[in-house]
Amino acid sequence: MEHYPERLNSLFQALADPTRRAVLRRLSTSPASISELAQPFDMALPSFMKHIRFLEESGWVSTRKEGRVRTCAIEKKAFAQADAWLSAQRALWEGRTDRLEQFVATTRKKERPE
Amino acid sequence: MTRSTNPDRDLTISRVIKAPRSAIWKAWTDPASFEQWWIPEPLKCRVIEMDLRPGGSFVTQMSENGADYTPHLNACFLAVDDLERIVFTNALVGGWRPAERHYPTAMTAIITLRDHPMGTDYVARAIHKNDVDRNTHKEMGFYDGWGTVAEQLARLVEPRS
Repeated sequence: MEHYPERLNSLFQALADPTRRAVLRRLSTSPASISELAQPFDMALPSFMKHIRFLEESGWVSTRKEGRVRTCAIEKKAFAQADAWLSAQRALWEGRTDRLEQFVATTRKKERPE
Repeated sequence: MTRSTNPDRDLTISRVIKAPRSAIWKAWTDPASFEQWWIPEPLKCRVIEMDLRPGGSFVTQMSENGADYTPHLNACFLAVDDLERIVFTNALVGGWRPAERHYPTAMTAIITLRDHPMGTDYVARAIHKNDVDRNTHKEMGFYDGWGTVAEQLARLVEPRS
């Protein structure tokens, strides 16, 4: 119900960093290798890898190793989950309002039978 | 006090309910009534505390089998205006104490009741904490709010698969 996985927090947290957003933007056009992704950034590789791991753990990105090359791709599921959150909140409140409406109607019918 | 809206993370449910305000107010504020509609069947709701005054505690539990109850809502009332308005938040617990955690994010709910020719104009507004600031949206090229973030990103990604 109102208990959503911690996972959702990390989905949004992952977006709160410019490097990670830039990586996602780059990956939205096509999958890419780590070295290709790291290239535009003036950053040591271990630091860059931390961002990649964050994106991977939060669910935005999947990685695959072929030989010596690790390729990253964007995970479409993550978008759906981020989107689903607000929809779920809306459904929650719609449902509550439906039930309240029905409850009030039923109660009134009982109190004032026609 | 100003009431700024943020379409990114606010949602509003508006409904004309064919009953007087007093009936809806009672359904909301009488714990035994509230328990019957707050969460959907077959889940059971139990009101532990519903201290209807600013700073008052609002605690509910839920159960799947009617025997074992788990925490559901742990919140604090911010405003309770008889027959007109109920405001509560899970960012605080009873007595205004800041909450240790809140799922899925901090939320303030504003319930308002207004007379309507057909009955009552019932509005539930939920305001959620913005986990990511607006700059994030701008930087990523999203302006229309969270609802469209996924859509726009998906559109970028879809043609390739």
